[in-house]
Amino acid sequence: MRQNRPTSPRRNRTNILRRRLRRLVVCGLALAAAWHIFATFLWIAPVSGLRAVVPGNLLHDYMIPMNGQSWSVFAPAPINGDYRLQVRAYVDNGGSSYATPWVDATKVETSMLTHHLFPPRAAIQSTELASRFKSSYDDLTADHKVIVKLGYFKGDDWEKRLTAKLNSYGDQPAVEAYMAEEHEITAYSTQVAYALWGSKVSRVQFVVSRRNVVPYAQRNNAHAQRPAAQVALTGWRGTTEEPGQSRADFASVFRKAYAESAR
Amino acid sequence: MIRAYVVGAGRFTAALLAALGNLIDRLGKDVLAGVETWLTEDKHAKYGLAVTRILLGLTGVGLLLTNLRTRLYTFGAGSAWNGEAAHPSSDFPRIWAFSLFHRLALHNTWFTVAYLGLLVLAVLVVLGWRMRIVLPVYFFCWVGFAEMNDLVGDQGDNMYRITIMALLFADTAQRWSLDDRRATAAEARADGATGLLGHVRRAWSGGRLLPRWLTNTTHNLAVVVITCHVCFVYASGALYKASGSPWQAGYAIYNPLHVTRFSPWPELADFLTQWGPLVVLISWTSIILQMSFPMMLTNRVTRVIALFGILGFHLGIAILMGLPWFSLSMIAIDAIFIRDVTWRAISDFVTETWRASRPSTAMATATAAPRASLRRRRTAASRRS
Repeated sequence: MRQNRPTSPRRNRTNILRRRLRRLVVCGLALAAAWHIFATFLWIAPVSGLRAVVPGNLLHDYMIPMNGQSWSVFAPAPINGDYRLQVRAYVDNGGSSYATPWVDATKVETSMLTHHLFPPRAAIQSTELASRFKSSYDDLTADHKVIVKLGYFKGDDWEKRLTAKLNSYGDQPAVEAYMAEEHEITAYSTQVAYALWGSKVSRVQFVVSRRNVVPYAQRNNAHAQRPAAQVALTGWRGTTEEPGQSRADFASVFRKAYAESAR
Repeated sequence: MIRAYVVGAGRFTAALLAALGNLIDRLGKDVLAGVETWLTEDKHAKYGLAVTRILLGLTGVGLLLTNLRTRLYTFGAGSAWNGEAAHPSSDFPRIWAFSLFHRLALHNTWFTVAYLGLLVLAVLVVLGWRMRIVLPVYFFCWVGFAEMNDLVGDQGDNMYRITIMALLFADTAQRWSLDDRRATAAEARADGATGLLGHVRRAWSGGRLLPRWLTNTTHNLAVVVITCHVCFVYASGALYKASGSPWQAGYAIYNPLHVTRFSPWPELADFLTQWGPLVVLISWTSIILQMSFPMMLTNRVTRVIALFGILGFHLGIAILMGLPWFSLSMIAIDAIFIRDVTWRAISDFVTETWRASRPSTAMATATAAPRASLRRRRTAASRRS
C-alpha cells in the first residue's frame, strides 16, 4: 500500500491528461463534422442570405470538387419534352456525290434504353448533347441564328470563319458557348456519318429539335397531338475529328443500335 | 416592511436563477457526457453500414456490367469526339489520385484492364475483403471512372462519391464481410504474440490499428454525416419541387414518364398515368415523403413508414425511369436507418428459413453454433471496451 502511494498521483495525472487529450481529439473531430454538415446544408439548400456567414469563397472552395452536387432534379418542373438529334452527310464517292437521308441518332441510341431494365449510359449521349446544344442555340440572337443556318465547310478554317462571322454580330460569351457545343455535336455527327456511310463523307449536317409531350389534360384523348417541335436549324459543316478518336469503337456500337432501332 | 419584501423577492429571484443555472449546467454536462459516450463507447449502425457497403458495391458491379459492352463507345477511344480526353470538363481528372482512367481512356487494352480491375474491386467491396485497403483504392478509381464523360453522369454519381468518402472513416466491414470472418477466426486462434511483429500480424488479421475510442468516434461521425446529408437531399429536393406548378397541380410525374429518356417502359407509363387521382397521389406523396423524411426518422412507427415509402419511391424510379443504379445507391444509403437489431432479426429469419429448407439441418446447426457463440463473445467484448 505504502509502495503504491508515490506512483498513484502520477498515474492519476497521466490518466487525466490522457482523458483530456482524448476529449480534445473527439471535440476536434466533432467540430470538423459539424462544419462539414453545415457546409453541406448551405450548399444543398436553395441559395439564401445564410451563405453570408461563410466568408469569401470558402464554401465554394470547400465543396468543389469533392462535395459538389445539385438536388434540384425534376424541380421546379420536370422535363416535359424530347430532344432529338438528326444527322445527314454528303458523300464524295468519285463521280457519284450525294447527300444521304436523315438519320435520327437519338432514336438509335435510345433503342438501347427502351424496354431494357438495365440500360447502358451510352443510350443518353445524343439526347444530352442535343439538350445542351439547344440551350446554347436559344441564347443566340436572331442575327446569329441566320448565320448558323448557312453552310460552313470549305477548307480547314471553316470553324474560325464561322466564329468570326458570329462574333461580328456581338454577344461574344453566347457565341463562345454556342461554338463549344457546335464543335462537340459536329464531332459526334462526323462519327455517326463515318459509321453509317463510310470514310468518303466530306461534310455533315445536323438538326436539333425539342418536342413537348402531349399536355397532361389531353393524355386520354386518342387524337391528341404533341405540340410542334422547336427546331434549331444549322447548315452544312466540315467533318471534325478529335485526336485519338477510334471510328471502329464508335461504329461497332452505333451500327448495332441502328439495326436495333430500325426493327 | 416594503424593504423586507424587496429583499425577499430579490433573494427568491437569485435562488431561482441559481437553480436554473445549476439545472442548465447539469443538463449541459449530461448532454455532453451522453454525446461523448455515444461517440466513443461503441460503433453504431454496424449492420446498416454493412448493408450500405454491400449495396454500394453491387451498384458498382451492376453499373460496370451494364456498360461493359459499350465501354469504349461511352468512355474509351470511341468517345474521343466529346473532347474529354483533351480537355476534361470535370476537375477530378486533373487531380493525380483520380486521373487513372482519364490517362488510359484512349488505350483500349489498358482501359479494359482498368475497367475489369474496377469491377473486381467492386466485388471485393461487396464481400468486404481487406476494406482498409480496398475501399480507398476503389474510391479513387471509381471517382476517376465516373467523371470520364460528363454527358452521361447523374446526381447519383455525386451521392455515391460523397457517401463512399464518408465511409472511408467508418468500419463498414465489421459485420457480414470476409474481414469480419477473418477477425473472428484470428480471435479464436489468438497466439498472444507481442511486439511489432505481433501488432502487424494482428492488424493484418483485422485487429485494430488505432485506439478503439478514436475509430468509434470517426465511425459514428460518419453515420451522422451521412444521415444529415441524406436528410438535406430529400428535404431540399421536396422544397425545390414544391415551388413548381406541375408539382403543385399534382401531375408532375406524367411529364418525365412520357419523355423517351426517362421512360423505358412507355406502355407502363401510359397505364399508370391514365387515372388522374393516381397521378396526383404519386406526385404529392413523393414530395410529402421527401419533405417529412428527417422528422419521420425520429419515431419507430413513422420511420418504418418512411423507409418503406422511400423504398417504393426508389423502386419506382429504378423501373419506370430506367435509373436502377441511382436508385440502388440511394436504397443502400437508406439502409443505415434500419436498426442493428432489425437487421439481425432479418438475418436470423433468412438463416433459419434456409437451414430449415436444407436436408442436412442437424449438421449445419452443429457447425454454426460455435461460430455464433464466438460472435456473441466478440460483441460483448467490444461493448465492454
